[in-house]
Amino acid sequence: MDHLTYRRPETGEDDLQKDLHTEHQILNMGPSHPATHGTVKFLIELDGETIISLDVQVGYLHRGFEKECEAGTWYQAIPYTDRLNYNSAILANIGYCLAVEKLLELDTPERCQWLRVLAGELSRLADHLTRCGATCLELQAMTPFLYGIEARELSWDLMEILCGARVTSNYVRIGGVKHGMPSSFPAICRENFEKIRKLLADFDEMVTSNRIFVDRLKGTGILSREDCLRYAVTGPLLRAAGVPLDVRKQEPYLTYDEIDFDIPIGEVGDNYDRYLVCVEEMHQSMRIVEQCLAKLEALGPGPVDVLDPRVRWPAKGRVFNQMEELIQQFKSVTEGPRVPAGEGYLAIESANGELGFYLVSDGSAVPHKVRCRPPSLINLAPLHLMVKGGLLGDLIPTFDLLNMIGGECDR
Amino acid sequence: MPGRVIKVKRAEKLGLLERLYVPMIAKGLLVTARHFFRNLRGFITGKNRTDFVVQFPEERIDYPDAFRGMPVLVQLENGEPRCVACGLCEFACPTDCISIVAGELPDSGIERYPEAFDIDMSRCMFCGLCEEACPEEAIVMSREVEISTFTRDAMLYRKADLLVPENLLKRRLDFLRGEYEREDAPSQSG
Amino acid sequence: MADPLAVLLAARGDAVLESHERLGDATAVVDPVELVAVMRFLRDSDGLDFEMLTDLTGVDYLGREPRFEVVYHLYSVKHNHRLRIVVRLPEDAPEVDSLVEVWPSADWMEREAWDMYGIRFRNHGDLRRLLLYEEFEGHPLRKDYPKERRQPLIGPRN
Repeated sequence: MDHLTYRRPETGEDDLQKDLHTEHQILNMGPSHPATHGTVKFLIELDGETIISLDVQVGYLHRGFEKECEAGTWYQAIPYTDRLNYNSAILANIGYCLAVEKLLELDTPERCQWLRVLAGELSRLADHLTRCGATCLELQAMTPFLYGIEARELSWDLMEILCGARVTSNYVRIGGVKHGMPSSFPAICRENFEKIRKLLADFDEMVTSNRIFVDRLKGTGILSREDCLRYAVTGPLLRAAGVPLDVRKQEPYLTYDEIDFDIPIGEVGDNYDRYLVCVEEMHQSMRIVEQCLAKLEALGPGPVDVLDPRVRWPAKGRVFNQMEELIQQFKSVTEGPRVPAGEGYLAIESANGELGFYLVSDGSAVPHKVRCRPPSLINLAPLHLMVKGGLLGDLIPTFDLLNMIGGECDR
Repeated sequence: MPGRVIKVKRAEKLGLLERLYVPMIAKGLLVTARHFFRNLRGFITGKNRTDFVVQFPEERIDYPDAFRGMPVLVQLENGEPRCVACGLCEFACPTDCISIVAGELPDSGIERYPEAFDIDMSRCMFCGLCEEACPEEAIVMSREVEISTFTRDAMLYRKADLLVPENLLKRRLDFLRGEYEREDAPSQSG
Repeated sequence: MADPLAVLLAARGDAVLESHERLGDATAVVDPVELVAVMRFLRDSDGLDFEMLTDLTGVDYLGREPRFEVVYHLYSVKHNHRLRIVVRLPEDAPEVDSLVEVWPSADWMEREAWDMYGIRFRNHGDLRRLLLYEEFEGHPLRKDYPKERRQPLIGPRN
């Protein structure tokens, strides 16, 4: 059976040219190619089916996120952060709000932090489900993709109950979250998790030891540990290369230091490792959510915001009845929080890697600079290293497991 | 800090069954057949449905309480909006899709009312900041999401299109009021 | 584990114009001429080992001279510490040496900074626009670029 397994050509580029006497072909793939779920253009130089060089052209989804944020108040940027990564909107919400809170030097109540972790891990689960499902789809396995999407549907149902919207949740606020957890949520969450686990088991059974799947993924799209670090690649890609780097462990934010979860790492850094790391991370995310539920049930209902008039809009119950609070409401809405002058960088672990926000405030109610460090963009940069010398067909699963999200990459 | 680093298990060497391929096809068929018959049973009996298909116009999903649909104006029993045209939602809106023209009512207790209240639904992104900003519970997120139109101009909703009687919005208002009580409880920290 | 800012100040204090540790972010403002040498020192010296250039961005302080800043965020996986390096560039010639030789991750991020702020990176080799198209006029994240400005329509290229 050994002759059947795909082996990467051991010869260098020069030998390939010498032996085959073929003319190189330039292939334009994209911007709207059915195999790349994301608007991106590849300019590929091919020798037969072997990729000689690759130029990735991004930016088709550029909407001026950073410029828009500089035009509104600190508050008005929150709905825009939803639109960065449509699979895990809440993680971008959390990243932005934590960065603003860092500038304000503000601590949030415990309940709010647990809720943020809960919502964030739910969206990480949805993100990885999409990634793994879409990889199967591009490898022509429609059924596992549908199971993945079914499981994502269940996790988005949970998001809808918790946040009020499936995708653009707009749940996290500066100094709190929009509202608390509905009392019916824990039961529904546990029920859905049971279903998701069953679907993941089916998914696993069909895919993980499937020969076609394993042969297509194993040994393709390798990015070594050193290259990962030189290209600042983070997230599941870096962990697949064997570096146990996770911002949740290295620089615990929110309540991650109280939560018991494991970091899966791979050995080789090929696509198969990336897939396995993502699957394991889904199980870890569900573990984290269950711990959050237990903790939130123990805490019981209560306030989920800081009572800091600088930041949070006053509670509505008081706005209706008290003149001072009404004036405060007018002031908060028309002006928003004034953030002290300064600069701050805060990184969180999003589903794709380190999602950083570098904010500069000049002391006014409008951000001077909102920089989002998009993991999608930075992980995409070394794609040419991953696919060079490989076959054209392997570009697609590599690109899928990289999980480039146009909204986040191009902002 | 609890938790450890675990190494994922790679199927380095596939077993004989996996390499032979045919038994794996049978196994895969078994999984898909299980799903198929479960879905079929649910589809026929209508109980314990596991598929997500909704026969849309006849069958509709019951959205959860927190659901945010399109923003609407609360209509009082006298047919007038509760809105006092203070303009806070206009300020709060990130996409500037709300525009209000205020008018004055000299004899009533309210004094101000919106002469015109337009929301450009093609720009609205259902974020709910207008609802949070409103000091009068006058603009709320309804459960309505079907706003397709034939022309772009029809996406501009006027005051008359936006007014919804208060009793139809009871579920949303109850949800919002439940949150006010929670916020009034004393804070733990911060 | 040494405090990276203190090590930097002790070894290359001559190149550091200003430093602070506000909000827990160690920051050093570095002379643009010395940038590549300082970055190589940060990457290679023991005890610092900044293997990663996590982020690179420009900031426009319109009305201040020097007007532009390029902000680098470094991270060391080995020691789990971060450092922010800032270089200030004048309005009439926003140019700084490229770091592609030091960290290849600078490639795309420098292209983005060129795209958005018009900051030139010397010896970059491939300084094209990253997110916008070549025919785009101006640099949109500059503070004097109005948000509503329209761009001329361009036809099909061939």
